[in-house]
Amino acid sequence: MDHNQGRRGHFHRGGRRGPDRRGPERRQVPGPGPAPDQASRGERNDRVDVEQIMREIRARIAQRSGVDLSNQQIHELAARRLEAILDPRGLKPELLDQLRRAAGERTVPVDAAPSAAQSYPFDEATLYDSPNGFLRFLRKLFNPLLRLLFNPTPVAHALAQQSRLNTELLQREADRDRRQAEWNALHYEILQRLALEVSRVSVDSQSLSMRVESLGTKVDFNERRVRTMEGTQARPSRPQESPQAAPQAAAAPSVPTSEAAPQPSAEGQPAGEPSRRRRRRRRGRRGPGAGVPAEAGVNAPAASASVVDMDEGDGEGDEGFEEEAAAEPVAVPGGPEGPPPPLRSEPVALDHQLPAATEHREEPAAAPEPIRTEEPPHTPEE
Amino acid sequence: MKLGIVVQRYGADVNGGAELHARYIAEHLAPYAEVRVLTTCAREYLTWRNEFPPGADSVNGIPVERFPVEHERSEADFGLRSDHVFSRRHSLNDELAWLESEGPASPALIDRLQKSGHEFDHVLLFCARYYHAYHGARAVPDRAILVPTAERDAALGLALFGPIFRGVRAIMYNSPEEQALIHAAAANPHVPGVVVGIGSEIPGSVDPRRTAAAFGLAGPYVIYVGRIDANKGCAELFDFFLRYADARPAAPTLVLVGKPVLAIPDHPRIRHLGFLDDRDKFDAMAGAAALVMPSYYESLSMVALEAWAVGTPVIANARCDVLLGQCLRSNAGLYYANAAEFGAVLDMVLDDRALAAGLGRNGRRFYEQHYSWPVIEGKYLDMFASLSSNPPAHRMEKLPGWLARRQSSLRPAAQVLDELPSGPVVGVLA
Repeated sequence: MDHNQGRRGHFHRGGRRGPDRRGPERRQVPGPGPAPDQASRGERNDRVDVEQIMREIRARIAQRSGVDLSNQQIHELAARRLEAILDPRGLKPELLDQLRRAAGERTVPVDAAPSAAQSYPFDEATLYDSPNGFLRFLRKLFNPLLRLLFNPTPVAHALAQQSRLNTELLQREADRDRRQAEWNALHYEILQRLALEVSRVSVDSQSLSMRVESLGTKVDFNERRVRTMEGTQARPSRPQESPQAAPQAAAAPSVPTSEAAPQPSAEGQPAGEPSRRRRRRRRGRRGPGAGVPAEAGVNAPAASASVVDMDEGDGEGDEGFEEEAAAEPVAVPGGPEGPPPPLRSEPVALDHQLPAATEHREEPAAAPEPIRTEEPPHTPEE
Repeated sequence: MKLGIVVQRYGADVNGGAELHARYIAEHLAPYAEVRVLTTCAREYLTWRNEFPPGADSVNGIPVERFPVEHERSEADFGLRSDHVFSRRHSLNDELAWLESEGPASPALIDRLQKSGHEFDHVLLFCARYYHAYHGARAVPDRAILVPTAERDAALGLALFGPIFRGVRAIMYNSPEEQALIHAAAANPHVPGVVVGIGSEIPGSVDPRRTAAAFGLAGPYVIYVGRIDANKGCAELFDFFLRYADARPAAPTLVLVGKPVLAIPDHPRIRHLGFLDDRDKFDAMAGAAALVMPSYYESLSMVALEAWAVGTPVIANARCDVLLGQCLRSNAGLYYANAAEFGAVLDMVLDDRALAAGLGRNGRRFYEQHYSWPVIEGKYLDMFASLSSNPPAHRMEKLPGWLARRQSSLRPAAQVLDELPSGPVVGVLA
C-alpha cells in the first residue's frame, strides 16, 4: 500500500546494510567536525557543547530505534491511516467534514433553541394583533361584535397550546441533535486517538523487530566467533589424535568447526573438551548454514572457510556486531548495564572565588569518541 | 540609602523560592543599605492564614514589619475565578477580583506603603502576580523595582499586569527567558531591566561520603530536590525513571529530597530522604551523579544553580524554557523531552564520567561568573545608582474608568499566553 511505502522511507533499514556503514570503512568516515584523537579528548572536557551532545543523543536514539519520526510525523501518519479507515468512497464526504469540524470544536454548534419562525408565540391577543395601528384599533373596536357572533377564546387557547407543543418539540429535537453531534464528535475523537495510538505502536513494533533482528545478528556472529576461537585453541591438541583422524583433519586444515569437532572427541579427547562441546551446540543459528547439521561432515571445509571469512570482518555477522557497537557509543567497560561508576565519596573543598582550584570527579584515562552526524534529526526546539 | 523589600511571606523557616530569594537579597544588601522588610503575617501560601504576630519583628538582623492578611484564600473561589479569567472573555474587574481572591490581601501593608513609602529610596517588590506587588507598585510607582519571578503561567496573560510592568522604575529579571516573556507580554522594553537571578548560601566544603553513610546511599544516584509535586513534573519523572530502572538492572537510585505532595512510587530504586538541612542537602547534591529538574515552569531554578555551584551536572526538562536556556548557556546540563532521551541522558552522565566532570566544571564556572554574591550585589547596586541619578522617565498608567473596568472585552489569559513567544534565549549570558 501507499502508506506502507511512504512509511518505509523514514526508516534506516537500507542504510544499515549499505556499504558506507560497513566495518572499517564506517569508522574512517569523519563526521562534520574533526575526529577527536586521544590527545584531544582531554581538551574536549573543557569544551563541552551541550547542544552538540544532545544532537548526538537524539541521533543515536533515532538510529537505535531505526525510526526518525517526530510527534508531528506520527500525527500525520495517523491522519493518513484514519483517512484510509474512513474511506471517502464509502462515506459521505459532507458527513466526514462535519465530523472533523465537530471533533475540532470544543462545543458542538447546534441550534439549541428553535428559531422564531419555527416557534410562533400565540396567545389570545395574537388573533387581533397587527403591525398596523389603525387596523389594531378597528379590531379592538369591533371585538365585542365579533364575540357576539362566535367565541374566539377556545380557538386562541387551542392555537396557543399547539404553539407551546411545537416549541417543546423543536427544543427536544434540537437537544437530541446536539447530543448526537456530541456523540459523533466523541466517537470521531476516539477513533482519531486510536489511529494515533495504533500508528505509534506499529512504529514501535517495527523498531523493536529491527532491534531483535540486530540482536539476532549479533548472537549469530558471537556464536561463530566462539566456535572459531575454540577451534584455534583446539589446534595444538591435534598431534595427540589417532592416525585414523589425520586424513579427515587434513581435509579441513584451516580451522576446525563445530561440525568437525565430534570426530576427534570420539577417539580420545583432552580433559577440557566436553565443556567446550557443550558450548558449541548451535543455538538456532539463522542463515543458509543453520539448518544442515546432518551434512556437517560433508560440508565441513566450506563451513570452516566461511567462519574464517567472518572472523576477518567482511561477513554479515561482523557487520551486525559493528552496528551494535555503534549503537552504544559510550565506551564504558561492561556497557550501559555494566558495573556502575563509583560514588564520589571524598570530601571536597569548595572555593568559589577560585573555580578551577578544586576537582570533584576522577578523570578517566580517555573520553569516548563522540558520534557525529551530518544532519542532526532533532533540535532542542523540537 | 534606605531600601524597602516587600514580599508575601518572610521568615527564616519560610522556604518558598521567591521568599528565599527576598531573604537572601535583604541579607546581602544589608551591608550597603538600611534594609527593612514589609510582609504579611502569613506563613503558608495556600491559605495565607495569619500565623506570625503583626508588628515589628527581626529575622537574622533584618528589621521586619508584618501586616495582617484581611481574608484567607478560598481555594474554591480562587479556582472558579482563575477558570473564568484564564479561559473566558472577562473584564478588568474580574481580574482585580481574581487578584483579591489569590491574595495575600493585606490592605494595611498597602496603606503603609502609600502613607510612608516615600521614606525608602527604593522599594523592591517580589512576585509580580500577587496582591502586594500589584497594589504596592501602584502605591509607590516612582520607587518601585519589581522582581517578577514570573514563569510561563496563564496569569502572565492577564491585562492588569501590563501597566505594572510598564510603570515601575526598573525590573530585576531572573533569566533572559523571563525578560523576553515579559517584554512580549507587556511591551515594556523602555523600563530599565537587568537579568540578575539569585545566588545561594553554598557551604565552604561538601562531604558526600558523610551523607551517603548517614542515609545508606550505596552506589550511584541522581537526586531531585524540591517539592515533590505533579506541578513540578515529578509524576513524569517517576514515569520516566521507572521505565528506565525496569530496563536496567544496574540503574542508579533516584533520591528525593523535599516535602511530598504527590504519592512516591514504592520502588527499590527510589529513596525519599524527606526534608534535609542545608548541609545534608549540599552533601547529597555533591555526591549525586546529577540533579534532575523535571519542572515545566521555572523563572529561575535555585536548586539547579546550587547543584552547579557544587559541581554537579543538571538533567533538566527540555520543555522548561528557562532550564533549557540555562543548560545551553552554561554548557553544564543535559535535557530530555521524552522517556528515551531521559534514559539516554542518564546513561551518558553515569557512564561518561569525563563528560560529567566537564559539565560539573562548567556549572561551577557558570555559577561563579553569573550567580556568585559579588556579581548579584553589584548588579543591584548598579541599578540603584542608575535610578538615583536619573529621574523617572515614565509614569504608571492609571486604572481605566468605572465603566471600562466592567466591560468584558479582555481575551482569556491562557489564549494571550499561548501567543507569546517561547523557547530558550541562546547567546545572552545571564
